[in-house]
Amino acid sequence: MRQMRGVRAPSLLTWLLACLALASCGRHAAAPSPQAGAPPPAIRYEAHLAAGGIAPAGAAPSNPHQGDRAVANSGALLFTAMNCDGCHGGDGSGWVGPNLADGRWRYGGADAEVFNSIYYGRPKGMPAFGGALGAEGVWTLVTYIRSLPVPGDVPTESWVQP
Amino acid sequence: MSRAVLIAMLGCLGAVAVGGDKRAAGAEVPGGEDGQWSMPSKDYAATRYSGLTGITPQNAGSLHPVWTFSTGVLGGHEGQPLVVGDTMYVVTPWPNVLYAFDLTREGYPLRWKYRPDVSANAIGISCCDAVNRGAFYADGKIIYNLLDGHTVAVEANSGRELWNTQIADLGNGETTTMAPLVVKDRVIVGASGGEFGIYGWVKGLDLKSGRTVWTARNIGPDKDMLARAGTFKPPYDSGVDLGARSWANDSWQTGGAPVWGSISYDPQLDLIYYGTGNASPYNPEQRLGDNKWSASVLARRPQDGTLVWAYQFTPHDNWDYDAAGAMILADLTVAGKRTRALVHFDKNGFAYTLDRATGRLLIAAAFAPVTWAKSVDLVSGRPVLDPAKQTGASRGNVKGICPSLEGGVSPSSPAAYSPRTHLFYTSTNNLCMDYAATRSSRLKGTPFMGVTSPYFAGPGGNLGTFMAWDAATGRKIWENKEPYPNWSGALVTAGDVAFYGTLDGWFKSVDARTGRVLSKFKVGSGIVGNPITYRGPDGRQYVAVYAGFGGDWAMLSGDVRSDDPADVRPPADFLKDIARHTSLGGMIWIFGL
Repeated sequence: MRQMRGVRAPSLLTWLLACLALASCGRHAAAPSPQAGAPPPAIRYEAHLAAGGIAPAGAAPSNPHQGDRAVANSGALLFTAMNCDGCHGGDGSGWVGPNLADGRWRYGGADAEVFNSIYYGRPKGMPAFGGALGAEGVWTLVTYIRSLPVPGDVPTESWVQP
Repeated sequence: MSRAVLIAMLGCLGAVAVGGDKRAAGAEVPGGEDGQWSMPSKDYAATRYSGLTGITPQNAGSLHPVWTFSTGVLGGHEGQPLVVGDTMYVVTPWPNVLYAFDLTREGYPLRWKYRPDVSANAIGISCCDAVNRGAFYADGKIIYNLLDGHTVAVEANSGRELWNTQIADLGNGETTTMAPLVVKDRVIVGASGGEFGIYGWVKGLDLKSGRTVWTARNIGPDKDMLARAGTFKPPYDSGVDLGARSWANDSWQTGGAPVWGSISYDPQLDLIYYGTGNASPYNPEQRLGDNKWSASVLARRPQDGTLVWAYQFTPHDNWDYDAAGAMILADLTVAGKRTRALVHFDKNGFAYTLDRATGRLLIAAAFAPVTWAKSVDLVSGRPVLDPAKQTGASRGNVKGICPSLEGGVSPSSPAAYSPRTHLFYTSTNNLCMDYAATRSSRLKGTPFMGVTSPYFAGPGGNLGTFMAWDAATGRKIWENKEPYPNWSGALVTAGDVAFYGTLDGWFKSVDARTGRVLSKFKVGSGIVGNPITYRGPDGRQYVAVYAGFGGDWAMLSGDVRSDDPADVRPPADFLKDIARHTSLGGMIWIFGL
């Protein structure tokens, strides 16, 4: 794994707990009994599992490249090279995966939240890219995605001439 | 004896015959109509023709909805229901629920429903919406594919799962959207993944146990393709390992050639026929050569998978022209000669008539605007290319290619054939594109594409049609222009009525001889499914179709979506107002007189 720079990475313990929680809730696993040494309730919280094991509250890392144009440009190349565009469309405008340039977010649009989505993956087919890219690569992508021009959020689409 | 009683008795006879394999050729036998719809394409020949005569051009004007049911699922409702005996079976898009409706009781209550344990990760590995193209009934079982790479057999009477076999690997980019075919004790299945660089295949499973008996690759070396010396006789090629040597740098290993439509079967020749999808990736410069047998039709023995012949519609596919669409078997008189023909409407805009015993090309004629090729040479079997329309990362943005990569017709929109009118009926798309290929890198389980391809309307400005085609001469007989790309399958009956749906949600019946619209009704969502017809327990003829906008259109015109407040998309520039007329849905509609 690449060196993580300026990032408080999720600890090994967090990883292990998340993995344990996932294993115990696999497709065909029986409900764990307290005697079986179930993981702590906080880790088994449904949303954490669905998110593929998310960093605990309080461990919000910060983007070392926030607002850096050059890094955003590298991220645009990475967005294509890692085939992100195959699911999210060229310029992130959405395909089988959601639009990343509409200013709206399923799992939060703060840099750390976008980081978590890419690093750990999300339900319904978003792969976890943390292993392939490392934190530095993921931050590069985050910096690009956060640089996409967001149109004013107009919730209305009208076909009536005013 | 009244006519109604007679029809009811014939219906019972038909029902008794269910369970044997002999009724397979029913549609080709006059009077052999059993009033059911037990296979995805109605019969082994994939004609989507029913011998029912209750609905006619004279009375079709009074067709009206008699029942609807929400599947509870959003997503493109491609495929079609089955009707076996007095039960209708419906498979939904992911999460692939199977419903069994009791057609004998008021309101058609469920006999049972089956909810498989299917992975949500499959949604992201499925290139173009989490669709399912239907189930097959055989031996008291409903057999279909789950999106996450499993085939299941469910007992038709009870809804009990009999077997569940993993056939595909999500982690390698494979999903399963196609409709299986059952021949004797083999279940033939294939995988999607032409956008993920899979190594495309079909498999033969054992009908009783679900065990995989054979696996045959669609590309690659002869041993992987089950191409055996002296048995495999492609009509225009010779030599060994054609499926490997026609790919530079062993690019066949990630060359795609998925199977995502349906499969047909000729019991006399004992051959199954299926089309393969595009070569991967979309940038053709990463896989120089013909790329056999992507964008092709393959003929195999169902029992052991042996390859008998193959014909490639689009050598070295430069345009994402999958040949995954239906291969329709019909006996036609071509140039005065009775011919065992195979007819195929390709994404590349040509309609092909082949000799289905040998794979030799008889007729190829454009049914939609075509600019990538001038014609298809009948001597060599190869397209006569326009060099200016060749694509690749080094060629930049190549403009004005017709059809678009949605196809002159989508493989999701199977045609129908009437042995009465001797005509084929199909939806079409009237779209062209620019194509800018870029270099793509393969990361297992992520898209392997490399193209930007904006669309625009073809000549005339209408984006689709529904048309009748004479495959014995390669001529269009009539066409109805539609404002939007037409994405439903076709149905035609012995009453000489054809049926189709439109992307903006109109369900139409038309005179099969003239195209005149006989009835139309606006259903709850755009139609991308295939209409079927059957004789109900009351002896009357009904027509059923799914409403449920989706497939590529759910992505291209993302403003039809209303389900996710965190995903808001602008309209497609070539399809600005579709969201004015429809949104996502998932409904079964039944029409009657």
